[in-house]
Amino acid sequence: MAPTEQITLYSADYSPFAQRVRIALEEADVKYTMYEMNTRFIKPEWYYTINPFGKVPALTFGGPNVPPDQPSAESAKLVESMVILEFLADVFPEARLLPADPIQRAKARQFVEIYRNYVFDEFRDAFFRGKPVEGVLAALEKLQDALPPKTGFAAGAWSIADAAVAPLLAGMVLCVRAGIGAYTEENWQKLRAALESETFARFMQYIQDIHERPSFKKTWGNDDLQIEIWQNHPGVRRLRTAENAEGFPGGV
Amino acid sequence: MPERITLYTAKICPFAQRTEIALAEAKAQYTRFEIDLQNKPDWYASKVNPASKVPAIAYGGPEVPPDQPSPESVKLAESLVLVEFVADLFPESGILPADPVKRAQARFFIEGVSSKLIPTWYGYFLRNAPVEDFYAAVEYIQSLLPAEGFAIGQYSIADIAIAPFLARTRLSLLNEIGKYPEGDGKKVWATITSGKYARFAKYQEDLFARDTFKETFDEAYVTDAFKQRFANARNQ
Repeated sequence: MAPTEQITLYSADYSPFAQRVRIALEEADVKYTMYEMNTRFIKPEWYYTINPFGKVPALTFGGPNVPPDQPSAESAKLVESMVILEFLADVFPEARLLPADPIQRAKARQFVEIYRNYVFDEFRDAFFRGKPVEGVLAALEKLQDALPPKTGFAAGAWSIADAAVAPLLAGMVLCVRAGIGAYTEENWQKLRAALESETFARFMQYIQDIHERPSFKKTWGNDDLQIEIWQNHPGVRRLRTAENAEGFPGGV
Repeated sequence: MPERITLYTAKICPFAQRTEIALAEAKAQYTRFEIDLQNKPDWYASKVNPASKVPAIAYGGPEVPPDQPSPESVKLAESLVLVEFVADLFPESGILPADPVKRAQARFFIEGVSSKLIPTWYGYFLRNAPVEDFYAAVEYIQSLLPAEGFAIGQYSIADIAIAPFLARTRLSLLNEIGKYPEGDGKKVWATITSGKYARFAKYQEDLFARDTFKETFDEAYVTDAFKQRFANARNQ
């Protein structure tokens, strides 16, 4: 029998980590309340009783039904998006947010580790710190190699591994298309050429499959919204000033 | 009934010990194959783990000598993935509790180990980064502990994730191995095992007293290996 505990998600449209959890909740097709934060750095005082670090996402589970901004001491408070994804897979086993087979579960988790250990830092370095782009391209090839060869998601069937990487990978591809990032004009061209080449055909198919997934479509918003979010990312804004705007494709 | 398991591991490696502890908790039958990390066999990267690291598991497939892995076995890597894999294969092991909220607590603890404790320890150990950063991480881990028992009360994957690292931190500090000034090691160890870190000190003792920890940790070997491996840490 499906759990009847209340679920409240604290989210924000600027957060790809919050989008991970929203995707999983949509895939689980369960009832939940969503509270949207609209400030990035300072949160309302009551929020720190839910997440002492003040970041999104956070999820409360169980306890009495209360307004989201008056959290109850009785609810379980969960933070860290990957922890929340695994939690939802545990709480809603029939939703198959993770496969049932131990090997496929391991493949799904391994895929996330490849993203975390190789892609994430290279993405940050190339897009926010102006480092050469060869690193992120090599990392993306490693990730691509972990996908099933022709078609399908990370573990074959959709799983929380895809929820974990989708917002960040889709964001990255969008940034390349829109010219958002700290890379030089030359590096931008390298990125564009790479993603359009045969080498990354399987990866780009995966990105397309992600975009077509209803749970992703519902939680991504639209490209224009996402462009605004990524342009206003603190990492990108710090780098873009009137003085160096010339180096940035797409201008200030 | 789980299939054939071959574990590629190394006594020196804390990541690999995580998987050995998990398998021991599960009382699993498996073949253990030691990889010399300073001299890896040429078949290892191409046939077992392209990242060329330990631990890795070859699961299923025909019975073969471990140094002739079969293409039919499934190859898996990444220590935390392998610990969860063992928990999935052997639910009776109890290393993951039944309650999803307690599971989430265990995984949250592991996030703290990965994002705070391990990087700050390596910073101090390899680069003589400010020890205060390491102390802050120890304090954070301590703040997650219940009044007694293990990370979430009962023994779990959270303890499996941290124990091998704390064991190597201890032997490094007590033997003054690392980049920090010689003589500081014992002082740092004394700091994190007394006073306001008393709860953390007890937790460490409990971790090291666990049979599955003892069975999978060859202290003399690892100490020697560390002394050799990090002999020139202060000269660089």
